[in-house]
Amino acid sequence: MDAATKPLLIIGSQDAAVCEGDFCEIPEHHTQAQVNRQLDADLV
Amino acid sequence: MQCPWCYIGKRKFEAGAAEFAQQGGGEVEVEYHSFELSPDTPVEYEGTPVQYLSERKGIALDQVEMMLERVTGIAKDVGLDYDYDHVHQTNTVISHELIHFAKSKGRQLEMKERLLKAYFINGEHVGRIPDLVAIAVELGYDEAEVTEALESHRFLADVKADVALAQEYGIQGVPFFVIDGKYGVSGAQEASAFANVLAQVASERDAS
Repeated sequence: MDAATKPLLIIGSQDAAVCEGDFCEIPEHHTQAQVNRQLDADLV
Repeated sequence: MQCPWCYIGKRKFEAGAAEFAQQGGGEVEVEYHSFELSPDTPVEYEGTPVQYLSERKGIALDQVEMMLERVTGIAKDVGLDYDYDHVHQTNTVISHELIHFAKSKGRQLEMKERLLKAYFINGEHVGRIPDLVAIAVELGYDEAEVTEALESHRFLADVKADVALAQEYGIQGVPFFVIDGKYGVSGAQEASAFANVLAQVASERDAS
């Protein structure tokens, strides 16, 4: 397929985790979800 | 290959595809494409991933360690035991060539999974030809054939073609999922998001 003439329609959450270059972002919701799980397990 | 979110995203996509299949959506055909995050990394980088990221990004070592600990925790949530203490930071272009070699044999998915496991979980080196040949032989490939393919870089053009296609699409980060050549889904989304996209594509196909 010719990507240049058929651009993709971007869908889904815009803040999902990605790696760009040699840096991999950790979105805030992942960090908060981990803290929540630790709270649930009485680890914090 | 070295993107921690790609292995996590792979698991989430697989869960989404399974959810889609359970809902009667059918089987999803998957094909992987190469994308190089840092093509200038040397094969024989002697440091750890923590040192590498700290040097490259100018971030303090303890901050990088915390970042990798968080990623490791998130990987655990999808059943992946990342072992960053034993990861070999390297240039992965030849491992991409090996994936294309496996694709030429109709066995791409198996090789992709094995190489991700090699890098993130097993602490194997995925930059050197002898190490990659050993992995291929373990999977049942002919040693002489795979050695020749990697030493001659017979599949390098396929890797570069994938990288060029990603540039044409405007893809800057991974994981990135192109679905039905029409939709782009960026990042390690939740499984339900993938299931929803697949259901949408299936319904559009049914309607056309």
